[in-house]
Amino acid sequence: MAKSKDLYSTMAETWTPVSSQLVTGRRWTAAIWFGVVFLATVAGSTGTWFFLPTFWAGLVTVVSLSAVVGLWVWSWIWAARNQASWGYVESDEELLVRGGLLFRRVVVVPYGRMQFVDVAAGPIASKLGYASVTLNTAATATAATIPGVPTLEAHRLRDRLTELGASHDSGL
Amino acid sequence: MTPDSEPTPETIRFTPDPFNKTPEGVVPTTPPNPPMGALGGEGQRTHPLSGLVQGLLWGSGVAVAFSFSSFTNGEWLIGLISLPAGFVIGFIAGFVPWWFTRFIINDEEIRVESGFIFRKSRRIPFARLQSVDINQPLVARLIGMAELTLEMAGGGDSKTQLRFLPLPDAKNLRRMLLNRAHGVGAPATLGSDASVDMQGTFGNDNATTPRTVIATVAPDRLIIGILMTLDFAGIVIGSIALVITFQIFGIPFAVIGGLFPFLIGTYQMVSNRVLAQWDFTLSRGDRGLRITRGLLNRSSQTIPFDRIQGITMVEPYLWRKFGWVRLDVDIAGYGVSTEENGISETTLIPIADRAFALQLIAELVPDSDSDNAEVSAVSGRSRIFAPIGWRFRALTRSADTVSSTTGWVTRRTSTIPQSKIQSVAVDQGPWQRRRGLATLTIHSPDGPVEVGLKHMNVDEAYGVALDEADRARLARSAVTRR
Repeated sequence: MAKSKDLYSTMAETWTPVSSQLVTGRRWTAAIWFGVVFLATVAGSTGTWFFLPTFWAGLVTVVSLSAVVGLWVWSWIWAARNQASWGYVESDEELLVRGGLLFRRVVVVPYGRMQFVDVAAGPIASKLGYASVTLNTAATATAATIPGVPTLEAHRLRDRLTELGASHDSGL
Repeated sequence: MTPDSEPTPETIRFTPDPFNKTPEGVVPTTPPNPPMGALGGEGQRTHPLSGLVQGLLWGSGVAVAFSFSSFTNGEWLIGLISLPAGFVIGFIAGFVPWWFTRFIINDEEIRVESGFIFRKSRRIPFARLQSVDINQPLVARLIGMAELTLEMAGGGDSKTQLRFLPLPDAKNLRRMLLNRAHGVGAPATLGSDASVDMQGTFGNDNATTPRTVIATVAPDRLIIGILMTLDFAGIVIGSIALVITFQIFGIPFAVIGGLFPFLIGTYQMVSNRVLAQWDFTLSRGDRGLRITRGLLNRSSQTIPFDRIQGITMVEPYLWRKFGWVRLDVDIAGYGVSTEENGISETTLIPIADRAFALQLIAELVPDSDSDNAEVSAVSGRSRIFAPIGWRFRALTRSADTVSSTTGWVTRRTSTIPQSKIQSVAVDQGPWQRRRGLATLTIHSPDGPVEVGLKHMNVDEAYGVALDEADRARLARSAVTRR
């Protein structure tokens, strides 16, 4: 058997992907944050022109602005790759959730262990029609969050999980 | 007066609420809200002394705070007025919460109603009750009072405390709650005799089930054990290093100043643990274990067998030479950071012989399938992350339990029954990915027990995770069928 080093490539399941709107939403969020940071950086580096020699002021301006723009571009790319990393599987007995790029994680949560399921959506998320679904068991370490589930699907998932949780419940 | 001393016959009956208008000895014909007093609303208050004492404490505190500056400034008149005024305000502040707190017990739950302006009501269904503890802080102990702590599974605020009740009442109430938590004595199943039975269980101590003491820890052993732990060794090495340093630089007087904090720290550490674990007794009843401990503050914890989520055996380096271990236990509701006086209430036994501990683990987390246990080791590729430690890690799985061993200085062996597993996770960080490794974690309710294996081969880790999910499911259905 070929040894794969990557966690995700060892898994054979068919994963339900999360909404592609998550990419748009995260890019918007990044745009708002980086927009503010960008303006602040512009103002800050303009200030340096008043008391630094032209060469140094220019250097500060170029370096700080390109750092901000660089991070912005990176977050743009990250949004798409991170969205692609998320997925879930509703098997007969367990819910499997995978996700994360730098730190990769798979959680297997038996339905009978589910204590409660949260559905949350911020203003951008609800505008774009997706929500995050979080599963909680009696162990805080579980906290399996699936970001970017389409809103209708998120509610269906919550209802189904709650229902399965009740029917499989085996007490603590 | 210790929590487990038998109450005298006069104090057995649940102390009547002075405001209780129900005549003595009248057995209600309908079971709900058994022997509870009624004042306008339903329910029962804790003992009036707790309100009174709380009021007096607050009263004197506020009185001093109010009048102190006036007296020191020589404004005697203002001081004389503010002294009683402060006392009245403080007394009310201490007394009112007691007055407005009531607890109600019915068929399915205990309910605690509190608050004057902002009413708060908390329901504790018996089925959700994880454990019931009795604590006696020193002051309460002097007047024969005890505090009852009810633990439910859940996040930070999952404890409910009733303070204070007379000790015999607290014990009766605990017995009743634990019985109910196990579906015994519930009026629904016992029919019309239930109310009588309720009264009996509540007001009568004859129903006490016999308890057998399975272990006691003598104070000398406790102290020797503490002196041989690593944190103590650290303090000793630290002070020696300090003395040497000062000798080299030739400042002998600074030695005293430098050592002083060390000595104080050591003294506090040792005395806190010794005080809290004084007369540590582990006993066994029908349905659970009981821990009683403490020299000044007595505490008595009850741990139902079926609420144990996992056990960890801790073996500090020096202890291993003598074959000593400590046992920590996971109970949903206790959580991780419930330390009082540096002593965790999750300690099942602070020091014991290894053979005894293994026997206890085998009893509490039975494993009938240990012959078929599968052992997973750490990948040799993880050497770079833990050059020595990687050899000491292993995961053992049978049909009944999953356990893991870690550590070469302090060794920890943690065991979780398969039927209690909450979830399973595989994590892979960037460095692990480069070496094809992943960390497997078996989740149990928050507590000292952590089972998992770091740096396994990634495909093996994922395979084990899926297999664990299967084993856990089989074990759960076996428990439900029983």
